[in-house]
Amino acid sequence: MAFLWSKISATLPPNEEQFLLQFSEKVALSVVEMLKWARLQLYGKTTRASRILNAQIILDYSWERLNTGTWRHVDKEWRRVYSYGCLFKAAALCRENPSEEEIQQAIRTCDMGLLMGAAIMGNILQVIVCILQSEIRKLAEEEDNHENIEAKKRKIASPHVGLIKEELAVPRIKCPSLESFNANHLLPLKPVILEGIIDHWPALNKHPWSAEYLRSVAGCRTVPVEVGSRYTDEDWSQTLLTVNEFIDKYILNKVQVSENGHKAVGYLAQHQLFDQIPELKEDIRIPDYCCLGEGDEDDITVNAWFGPKGTVSPLHQDPQQNFLAQVVGSKYIRLYSPEDTEKLYPHESQLLHNTSQVEVENPDAERFPEFVKAPYLECVLQPGDVLFIPVKHWHYVRSLEVSFSVSFWWS
Amino acid sequence: MRWFGFGFNAFAQICVQEKSNKEDSSSAAGEVKVNVPIELKNHVGRSKIRASWSRRASLFLDEEKSVRLAGFYASISNESFSPVMVDTRGCRDAIISETHLTLAFPDRIECWDLQSKKKVPSWSMEILTQSQNSDVNLPLVPGGYISSKTPIFHSLSSHLQAKSLALGGEHAILLTAAGAVYTWGQGSHGELGHGGLIPEEEPRTVEALWGMSMRSVAAGGWHSVCVGDGGDLYVWGWNESGQLGLPSRGLRKASQQKSEPQAGELCGSVSTCLGEERHEEVYISIQAFPALVDVSPSCEIRTVSCGSRHTAAVTTTGCLYTWGWGEYGQLGHQTTTSLDEPKCVEFFRNESLHVVDVVCGPWNTFTAAVKKEVLAT
Repeated sequence: MAFLWSKISATLPPNEEQFLLQFSEKVALSVVEMLKWARLQLYGKTTRASRILNAQIILDYSWERLNTGTWRHVDKEWRRVYSYGCLFKAAALCRENPSEEEIQQAIRTCDMGLLMGAAIMGNILQVIVCILQSEIRKLAEEEDNHENIEAKKRKIASPHVGLIKEELAVPRIKCPSLESFNANHLLPLKPVILEGIIDHWPALNKHPWSAEYLRSVAGCRTVPVEVGSRYTDEDWSQTLLTVNEFIDKYILNKVQVSENGHKAVGYLAQHQLFDQIPELKEDIRIPDYCCLGEGDEDDITVNAWFGPKGTVSPLHQDPQQNFLAQVVGSKYIRLYSPEDTEKLYPHESQLLHNTSQVEVENPDAERFPEFVKAPYLECVLQPGDVLFIPVKHWHYVRSLEVSFSVSFWWS
Repeated sequence: MRWFGFGFNAFAQICVQEKSNKEDSSSAAGEVKVNVPIELKNHVGRSKIRASWSRRASLFLDEEKSVRLAGFYASISNESFSPVMVDTRGCRDAIISETHLTLAFPDRIECWDLQSKKKVPSWSMEILTQSQNSDVNLPLVPGGYISSKTPIFHSLSSHLQAKSLALGGEHAILLTAAGAVYTWGQGSHGELGHGGLIPEEEPRTVEALWGMSMRSVAAGGWHSVCVGDGGDLYVWGWNESGQLGLPSRGLRKASQQKSEPQAGELCGSVSTCLGEERHEEVYISIQAFPALVDVSPSCEIRTVSCGSRHTAAVTTTGCLYTWGWGEYGQLGHQTTTSLDEPKCVEFFRNESLHVVDVVCGPWNTFTAAVKKEVLAT
C-alpha cells in the first residue's frame, strides 16, 4: 500500500514551493494560514491525526461559507478552499498503509470536493479518485476470486405498459438523416422518438448497465440522491449516498426502511455523473443530431437519471433542446406543447414557475379545469429509444420499472 | 471576575500550550480542541471578551481601558499591520470579525481593517453630542450599525429605538427599548422567524413574539435566540447540529453510527426521560417560527450567546448550559460530541463557580464566573 501513496504523491507538486496557494482577498488571511499549515504538513513530518485535523478545519470553515447565502452567490474562492481541504484530507487518509475503509473514505472525500468544490490544480481530485478507485477494484477482485459467484442475474418482469392511444402516440422513426430530422422535427419543434441511434453504445451492448456493472465501475462513489416521490412534494429532500448504498437501498430494496408505513423513493436524478465518473462516459456517445444546434459540444449538458420503478418528474419545461436516451427499463412520458402553457397552471413562485401544479395522471378538474382540454402526446420509452423533447416542451415522466436514462441538453 | 474559554484553539486564541515536541513545527499552536474550560491568563478585573474565528479580543475596563488580542497574528508586534499597534486606550466597547476590529471610544468609533497595513482606520465616525452616560453597545452606533463587510455602516431608522443588535452569518436581530424583536437579512434557514424562508431587506417585527417583552437577543450563523423578561428562551432557524436544542436528525443518525460511551457523564441531569418520545422521529431541521426551549425544568435564563452552530445560556442561578455543534470542544462537556438538548457544563458546578456571563466565538465559548462564596457575602 506504500505503493498507493507513491502514486498519489506523484500527482502532487514535487515540493512545497511549487504547491501554490493563491486566493483573492475574499479569503481571510487566517484561513490562508491554515491552508499553509496543511501544505507544510503534506511535505513535512507530523502525525496522521494532526494532518486530518488541519484538513478538517479547512473543510468545516469552507463548508460554513458554502452554506452562507444562496448557492449561486457563494464566491468561487470558497469552493476552491473546500477542494483544497478535500485534497489535504484525502492525502492524509492515504498515507501510511491505509485500510480499505480508509481508501473508501478518501474516495468519498474526493467526491465531496468534486460535487461541492471548484476544480483546483488541473482537477487533481479527479486524478486522485481514479487512482483510489482502481486500488479498491484490485482489492475487490482478490475477494471476488474466493466467493461472490452468486452474481444474480435479475430477470426483470416485463412492465405493464398502459394503453397508449394510437392517435396520441409520439411518432417513431428509425435513424433519420440529419437533413430529414432537421426539416421534420427540429425546425418545426415536433417531438419524435428516434430508434436505432444508440444501439452502438457500449452501455447497451458491450457492458450493459446492470446494477452489478454500475457497482463495479462506480460502487464507492458518492452521488446526490433525491428522496421523495416528486420534487414538488413537501417531504422531498436531497441526500448524498455512495452508488452501492443507493443500489442496495433504493434499487434492490435490500434495506427495508418503512418510515410511517410507506417506502420512500430514491432517485439519482439530474446529476452530471459522466463528468464525475469518466469511465461511464466511455459507455455513451453524444448523438450526432446535436451538431444541428448552434452550441459547442462542450456546452452540452449530459445528465444521468437512475432510479427504481415509480420515480416521477412532475410536468415541467426546460430552456434547452433535449434528447432523452433510455438505456435500462422503461418510462411513461407525456408531452404538452408550450402553446398550451396557460392550460397547464405553472406554479406562481419564481423557483417553480417552470413546473405545472397539476398531477398529470390524477388531475384536479375543479382547480385546473382547463387542463383536460390541453392536447398532448404520450409514449412508453423502451431501452434503445431516444426521445426528442423540443425546447420548452412540457414533459411529465414516470418510470415503469428500474430505469436508467441519459439526457442531453443542447442548443 | 475570572474568565474561562473552551473550544477551537488552533490559533492559540484561548491558551498557549507549552510544546512538548519542538520538532513538530508543522502543527498548529497548542491544543486545537479545548473541550474543558480553561482559565484565561492575565484576566483580572472587569473585562469583556469578543471572539472571531481565529482571534480573541479582551477589553479591559478597569483603569487602562484597552484591548488586547490573542490568536492569529496577535503575537507578532513588529508587523506593521498587527492590530496591537493600534492605540486602544480609552476604549469602551469592541467587536472583532475575521477581517475587522471595531473600537468604540467616548468621542468616536474606529473600524480597523486587520488585513491592511494602513495606519489609519478603514472607517470612523465622530460621536458629537452623546453624553457620557449613554452606553455604546456595538455593533450599534449612533444612527445605525456597523458590519464587518463593506459597506461598514448601515443606517437604522430612529423609530426602532434600538437597544441592542446581534449579527448572524447573513442576518440581523434587533431588540428595541420596548422589548420588541425585529429581524432582517437572509432567511433561507428560517433564521428570521417570520415563518418563511425568504429574505427581508428591511427590519421586520417577529410577530410570533408580539406582546411579549424580550430582555436580550443573540444570533448564530443560521439561528437566532432571544430571552424573555421572565427568563424564558425562544429559538428559531437551522437545527443542523442541534443548535436550537430541538431533536436533530443528523445528530441521531451520527450517534446511532458511533454510539460511543460519553465521557464526563457525572450527573444525570440530562433529561433521559424524553427517550420514549424520540422514537416517533419528530425531527426539526428548520424552525421557521420562534419555539420555546426548556433548558431545564423551572430555569430562568439570564443571558445567552450563539456560536456559528452552537448556543450557550447562563441561568439566574449561575449555571451554564450549552448545546449544538461540539466538534471543537465548544460545549465544554469534555467531549467533542454535538448535542441537540441543553446540557449543564459540570466544570463550573464542580469548581463551585457561579457563571455570570457568556460570549461565544464562532467555534468557541468564553464565560465569566465568580466563586460562590464571594457572591454570598
